[in-house]
Amino acid sequence: MKDTPLSNCERDFLIKAIEEKKRLDGRQTYDYRKIKITFGTDYGCCFVDLGQTRVVAQVSCELVAPKESRPSEGIMFFNIELSPMASPAFEQGRQSELSVKLNRQLERCLRNSKCIDTESLCVVSGEKVWQVRVDVHTLNNDGNLMDAASIAAIAALSHFRRPDVGIQGEEVTVFSPEERDPIPLSIYHMPISISFAFFQQGTFLLVDPCEREERVMDGLLMIAMNKHREICSIQSSGGIMLLKEQVMRCSKIASVKVSEITELINKALFNDRTARKAGRKCGFAESLPQERITALKTDQSEVEMTDVSERASDIIQKAEAPPPMAASPVLPAPGVGQVGHGLQNTWGLEEDEEQEEESSGEEEEIKMEEEQREKDKTTEAVVEISDSEEEEVVILYPETTKKPKNAGSSSDQKGAAASKKRQKK
Amino acid sequence: MAVDMRLPTVKSPPVSVLDRKDLVVPGDVITSDTGFMRGHGTYVDEDKLTASVAGKVQRVDKLICVRPLKTRFNGEVGDVVVGRITEVQQKRWKVETNSRLDSVLLLSSVNLPGGELRRRSAEDELTMREYLHEGDLISAEVQSVFSDGALSLHTRSLKYGKLGQGVLVQLSPSLIKRQKTHFHNLPCGASIILGNNGFVWLYPTPGQQEEEAGGFYTSLEPVSLSDREVISRLRNCLLALAAHKMLLYDTSVLYCYESSLQHQVKDVLKPEVMEEIVMLTQQKLLEQES
Amino acid sequence: MAGLELLSDQGYRLDGRKAAELRKVQARMGVFAQADGSAYLEQGNTKALAVVYGPHEMRGSRSRALHDRAVINCQYSMATFSTAERKRRPHGDRKSTEMSLHLKQTFEAAVMTQLFPRSQIDIYVKILQSDGGNYSVCVNAATLAVINAGIPMRDYVCACTVGFVDETPLADLCYAEESGGVSSLALALLPRGGQIALLQMDARLHQDHLESLIEAAMTACKGVSKVLDEVVRQHLQEASVLTRE
Repeated sequence: MKDTPLSNCERDFLIKAIEEKKRLDGRQTYDYRKIKITFGTDYGCCFVDLGQTRVVAQVSCELVAPKESRPSEGIMFFNIELSPMASPAFEQGRQSELSVKLNRQLERCLRNSKCIDTESLCVVSGEKVWQVRVDVHTLNNDGNLMDAASIAAIAALSHFRRPDVGIQGEEVTVFSPEERDPIPLSIYHMPISISFAFFQQGTFLLVDPCEREERVMDGLLMIAMNKHREICSIQSSGGIMLLKEQVMRCSKIASVKVSEITELINKALFNDRTARKAGRKCGFAESLPQERITALKTDQSEVEMTDVSERASDIIQKAEAPPPMAASPVLPAPGVGQVGHGLQNTWGLEEDEEQEEESSGEEEEIKMEEEQREKDKTTEAVVEISDSEEEEVVILYPETTKKPKNAGSSSDQKGAAASKKRQKK
Repeated sequence: MAVDMRLPTVKSPPVSVLDRKDLVVPGDVITSDTGFMRGHGTYVDEDKLTASVAGKVQRVDKLICVRPLKTRFNGEVGDVVVGRITEVQQKRWKVETNSRLDSVLLLSSVNLPGGELRRRSAEDELTMREYLHEGDLISAEVQSVFSDGALSLHTRSLKYGKLGQGVLVQLSPSLIKRQKTHFHNLPCGASIILGNNGFVWLYPTPGQQEEEAGGFYTSLEPVSLSDREVISRLRNCLLALAAHKMLLYDTSVLYCYESSLQHQVKDVLKPEVMEEIVMLTQQKLLEQES
Repeated sequence: MAGLELLSDQGYRLDGRKAAELRKVQARMGVFAQADGSAYLEQGNTKALAVVYGPHEMRGSRSRALHDRAVINCQYSMATFSTAERKRRPHGDRKSTEMSLHLKQTFEAAVMTQLFPRSQIDIYVKILQSDGGNYSVCVNAATLAVINAGIPMRDYVCACTVGFVDETPLADLCYAEESGGVSSLALALLPRGGQIALLQMDARLHQDHLESLIEAAMTACKGVSKVLDEVVRQHLQEASVLTRE
C-alpha cells in the first residue's frame, strides 16, 4: 500500500517547530525516547521498545560447512524484515530501498566491526562451523528503526547461548541444553548505532527522529560506536551536504549516548540473568504489566497547573448562563421519548414521527428558510423542494408547518424552491 | 563481404590554444560583481556568480549565461522541429523532440484534413488516432513554451504536418545553425528539413502535385533508385559533419555532398574518408566567405 | 593477511606509493556518441564507464515524477569479468543496490534538480575492472559524464577512499589494502565548498583518529578534483576548436 503523503501544513508546522528547537513529543534535541529491553523465554530472543517503535530480534545457530576462503571461521548472517505489521507502507516480499539500506547498515555495523569472535565458532576446521543467524523483525514503525534494530541485535547476541560441542577424535557430539549448559558467544564489544536527522540543509540536527520527523528530514547520519569510543561505522544518507565540524560534533554526542545505552543493555542482561538463576519465570509474557489496558494508552505527560484555578474562574464568570435543560424525558407522543435538546432533523422523508417531536422541542436553529416556510403555508400535498431532476417527491404531512427537507441546501435552491412553490399556488 | 579492421591509433594532440578565459567548468566563479544578471547555466553562491555547466561564457550587456557544449533541445518560439508521436491523449498528442520533457501538440493546433476551419467536436477527439498515431513523424513549429519547459507545437501551415517517405538523422541540437528557413530543396535532387532540435529529415523532392489535405497525406509511391542514392549519400555526409562537430546548414551540407561524390556512398563512413571530405568542405566554405 | 605489510618502515605501500599519494588517474569524456553524456575513468587498475541520459520525460511509472524536481535514477553494476573470480550476479544483489542508492544520494546533492521538474535523469555506471575504491571511481566517472551531458551541477563531485594503518592515513586504497581488514572511509566531496555529499566508514576506528582521517580524505578528494578539472578543460578546448564558427 502506498504511504499517505504528508500534508503541507503538517510539514511546515514540524519544520517551524524544529527551528524553534521544539519537538513534537517535548524532548530536547539530543534526547532519546524511552528504551525498554526485555528478553524472551528462549535464549537469544530480545524485544526492544524505542518509544513506540518495537522490534524483536532472534538469534539461532546451526552447523554448516565453512566458506572456502575462511575455513576456520564461523559465519554470521543478519536479516532485517520489514513486515507490513510495522507500517502499511511496507509491502510483504518486496525488497524496498529502505530494507536494503537497513540490512546493509546492520551488516556493516556488526560484521565488519568484528564484534563477535568468529574463530571461536569453529568446530572442525574446514568441515563444520557454527552459522549464527540474527533475524530482526519490525513490529511497529515509529521512526528510527536502525537504532532499535542494532540495540535488539546486539542484546540478543549477548543473551544467546549456543549448544556445547564435544570432540572425541573424529566424532563430534552436540549436547542438548539438558545435557550440558549452553555456552554464550564471545563478544568483544557492543556496537550501537545512533541516528542523527538533519533539517534545513544541515542547519538543525535531532537525535532519534520519530516517524513524523523522519518524513520531513533532509538526510540522516548514522554513527555506530561502542563504549570504548571506537567508531564501528559511519553512514550518511539522503541528499544532504555535511561539513566536517558537524560530523565531529555528532561523533562526540554519539559517544555519550552509546555509553548510556550500553549501560541499559548490561542492566537488562543482568536482571534477566538473576531472574533465571532465582528460578523466576521470565520471558515476554512476564514483561507486560498485568491488569492494565494495553491498547490506546499514552504515557503520562506533564501539564502546567500553576494558575489553573484563576483562569478557570475567569472563564466561568465571563461565560453566558447555560440554557435551561429538561431534567426528565419529555413524551411528545405515545411510544416516543425525548431527552435533552432536539436538533433540527436533517434526514428526510421517513422520520415522520420525529416531526411531532421537533414541533415541541425546537429551539436553536433559526434558519431563513424556516421563516420563509412559515410565511407561505399551503395545504398542497406535492411540493418541489430542489432543482433535482429526480421524480417528484411526495411528502405526506399532518396539518402542521412544513419542515425543510434539505436543510443544507444553498440559498439559491431555497429561493428557487420557494419561488416554484409560489408558482404552483 | 569485406570487413574493415582498425588498430587503435594515438590521438593527435590538439592544436595548442592559449588558455581561453571564456571557457568555464562547474563551480568556476565568473564574476563577483553584483551588477550582472544571471542567465542559463549559472547560479549565485554568496553574491558570486558561479557557472553550473562546462562551456563558453556569453555576455550580452548585463546578462551573463554559459552555453554548454551539448545539451538537450531548449525550444524557443518559432523553432522548427521534427518529432515523433509517443502518445495519443485526450485532445492532444505527446511528441518526443529530444528536449527535457515531451512536447505537446494540441488538437486545436493542427489543420484538419481537407483544410476545413471549424471548431473541433467530440467526434474529432475520437478520431484523433486516424490523423496521427504513435510512431508517426511530424514537422511542426513551436508555438509557445509552458511554465515547466514543455513546448507547445502547431502545424498550422501547409509546409508542416506528417512526414512520409524519407530518412531521419538524429544529431545534437547545438550543431544546427539558426537560419531564416529550415526547409531546403537541394539541387542534388533531395530535400532536407533541418529541425532545430537536431532531428534532420531527408526526403525525395515532391513533384509538382499540390499538397492536399493540409499535410496529412503521405505519398506511398515507390521512390526511384537514383533518389535513394542521393538521400543515402546525404545522410552519410551529415554523419561525417556531425562527427567533426561542424555547424550544419544548407550550404555546408551541399559542399560536403559535392566533396563526397568521388567516393562510393558506403565509403563515406570510413574515418579517413570522413576527415578528407570535411577538410575539403571547410576549405570551400572559407573560400566562399573570403 | 599476516606478514603482508601495508605500510613499510620507510613509508612505502604495497605498490610503492607513499601514504598520501593517489593512483594515476586517466579519463576521457564523450566516449559514446548516442548517449547524452558519457565518460571513462581509470584510477590505477580500477576502470569504470559512466553513461548519462537526460533530462528526459519520465518513462515507466508517471506517478514517481516529482512536481518540483527531477528524479535521479542510478544503476551500479560490475562486469562479470571485473573481479578475480567471475561474478555471478552483476546487479540486483544487495551490495549493488546499496551502491546505486549511494550514488543516487550523492548526485541528488550536487545536481541542480530544481531546474527540471517532472523529468528524469538516468546515470548508469559499470565497473570493468575492480581493484579497490569502486565507489570512488564510480563517482568520479559519473561526475565527468554529467558534465559532458550539460546538466547543471553546483560543483564537481570527487570521491576517494582512505584507510588507517599504523596511525597513518593511506589515500586511495587498492584491493589488497581494502581486504586486509583496514578501517576504510569513503568520502564524496564538493571541493570548493568543502561540503561532504556522502560519508561511509567501515571497521573499527578510535574516535580521536576520525578527524585526521576525514582531513586526509578531503585532501585526497581535492587532488582528484584537480585532475578531473584538467580533463574537463582539455575536452572543452578540443571541442571549441572544432566548433569554431
